[in-house]
Amino acid sequence: MNKTRVLIVDDEEEFANTLAERLCLRGFDAFSVGNAEEAISAIKGDRVPDVALLDLKMPGLSGLDVLQMIKKLEPGIEAIMITGHGSTASGIEGMKLGLFDYLMKPVDINDLVTKINEAMRKKLQ
Amino acid sequence: MRLKILDKYLHFYNSEDSKLSIKERYLTLSRSFLMIMLLITIVPLSITTALSFFQYRALIRQETINNAQWNAESTRQGIEAFIDKLRATIQIISESYKYKDLSVQENLDRVFENLKSKNKGLVDLSVIGTDGVQQAYSGPFNLKGKDYSDSLWYQKTLARKVYVSEVFMGYRNMPHFVIAISKKVTGEDGYWVLRASIDTDTLDQFLAGVRTANLVDVFLINSKGVLQSSSHYYGNVSDQSPVVVERLPHNKSISTEENNQGTKAMVNVVGQINETPWFLVLEQYGYADKKTWVIFKRELLIIYVVSFAVIICLTFFIASFLTSTVRKAEETRESILAESEHANKLASIGRLAAGIAHEINNPLAIINEKAGLMKDLLQVSNDFKYKDKFLLQIDSMENAVKRSRAITHRLLGFARRMDVKLEPVDLNSVITEVLGFLDKEAAYQEIRVDQDLQPELPNIMSDHGQMQQIFMNIINNAIDAVGNGGIIQISTRQIDTKTVRVDICDDGPGMPPEVLKKVFEPFFTTKKGSERQGTGLGLSITYGLVKKLGGKISASSEIGVGTTFTILLPTGSVSTGGRDI
Repeated sequence: MNKTRVLIVDDEEEFANTLAERLCLRGFDAFSVGNAEEAISAIKGDRVPDVALLDLKMPGLSGLDVLQMIKKLEPGIEAIMITGHGSTASGIEGMKLGLFDYLMKPVDINDLVTKINEAMRKKLQ
Repeated sequence: MRLKILDKYLHFYNSEDSKLSIKERYLTLSRSFLMIMLLITIVPLSITTALSFFQYRALIRQETINNAQWNAESTRQGIEAFIDKLRATIQIISESYKYKDLSVQENLDRVFENLKSKNKGLVDLSVIGTDGVQQAYSGPFNLKGKDYSDSLWYQKTLARKVYVSEVFMGYRNMPHFVIAISKKVTGEDGYWVLRASIDTDTLDQFLAGVRTANLVDVFLINSKGVLQSSSHYYGNVSDQSPVVVERLPHNKSISTEENNQGTKAMVNVVGQINETPWFLVLEQYGYADKKTWVIFKRELLIIYVVSFAVIICLTFFIASFLTSTVRKAEETRESILAESEHANKLASIGRLAAGIAHEINNPLAIINEKAGLMKDLLQVSNDFKYKDKFLLQIDSMENAVKRSRAITHRLLGFARRMDVKLEPVDLNSVITEVLGFLDKEAAYQEIRVDQDLQPELPNIMSDHGQMQQIFMNIINNAIDAVGNGGIIQISTRQIDTKTVRVDICDDGPGMPPEVLKKVFEPFFTTKKGSERQGTGLGLSITYGLVKKLGGKISASSEIGVGTTFTILLPTGSVSTGGRDI
């Protein structure tokens, strides 16, 4: 069985890299990028993720922009927003664009793993 | 032009650095209202009263003068008629009889007896010959043969033909006056004189007949001011009266003047008696002594005093009503301003909190992940000497991150836009649910929670989740306040068709007024250093939620007794302004 591939898009590289490493330790094929452009390149390349973890606020394109582009390029990718912002409005907006769920930083790794697995189950349905 | 007192009040009212307390300020306002209203009511009342006083006084004064003049005129006419009648009678006799016939004593006696019965006061009747010697005399005195040729009255009679004398004593040695007529002796050059003497008592009787309520004195004087009749105040006949002779009128007119004698106002009327040397003087009390004037003054004073008292009472009432209305309006305005200020403060703090929370969440997430990775790596690595100690440290770090996250999430919750989802909410159920969450905590601290929930309390249109948060915050606070073995009482009541009230009382240590005043302020907490350290946001969020749901929350507290939070909630729909707080 293939490992669930997880893409982490966050301009906080320290956070993104560490989270990727922790997910790898939990059996995921996780990798991180620092901005929207790199995320698009990854999706267009040969490492198409199953689940994308998106930061909401990033320099340049925002997490919601990246979500729109991901859904356009690969509608099958499930996305989870991880953000330091507590805006319900952006959460609702994300849901409208096909966001799977919405988590607040700092996240509990177990909660995140559960959410990724749920997203994966949805993708496989 | 503005009134000075109003300016004074406005100065105090507007002056920011005014040292006046609120009580003094409203006292000044009340006084200003009082003074203004007294001015605009008492001044017209006083002017109207004064006008009535002066107008009625002028009227009654004129009436008094007219009355005195009428009395004088009627008395004068009476005396003139009496004198005219006597003069006419004497004249008829002088024309009916010849000198030599009347010179016969018997004839004169007969005529005298005849006249005396018809003319009261007639003393005697005499005939004086051309030589001025009395030829015949009928009367009580023995005056026959008396020579009058040098007498003034005799000379004047010869000159004027008809003469009425002043009052004098003469040979009779009694006050009397004469009416004499001179007539030419038939066939001779000389003139004989028929003379009648009249007692002055007759004049006194005439004057005594003058009856009027305010009469002081009435008497006759001659052109030199000598009394010709008796006077109540100035003596008897021949005494000098105080009347100023220069002011005596010398025609048919009558003169009137007012003067004061002591405290009395008097009206003096003087008029000449036609074809006599006499002047009638009538003295009457002035208007001030008239009964109608005294009654009018008393009634006017009563009306003025009563009106004044009524105005004072009404003015006090209106001034106090206006002041209280202004005070209420100002209090309402201040309350709205304070609420608006509080809401603005909350909104500003909310925005600030959201920014800070976001900025903190990112590094917190890094710490969390780094610590998590360290833990992950330690768990998969071989045992080493400090592995357990490291894991313990990492757990502490993760716990600190969780605590920080709780704070930042709460901050964001505080700042988050609170959309209200209205639905029928059973308050009793919400309270029971919340108590279900806190049961263990209360039991652990042996806290007794008494519930006095009104059965069949109507559902209210509100947000179920936010109601839960409201009661969770307040009951949590109460648990913290009472400590071990405390009592919390929760009651629900329907006040009227539109309002439901919830009271949450604790028997904790209570709060001093300065703390109570700030209890709903964001970041204000009294739990610093305690085990359950607070963020100071719980009650502030509660305040915002209650306001958002259209309710009101207030707190009262007494040191050593406890604290009560009272929440009033509308039963119907609420305004969902949806503003950020």
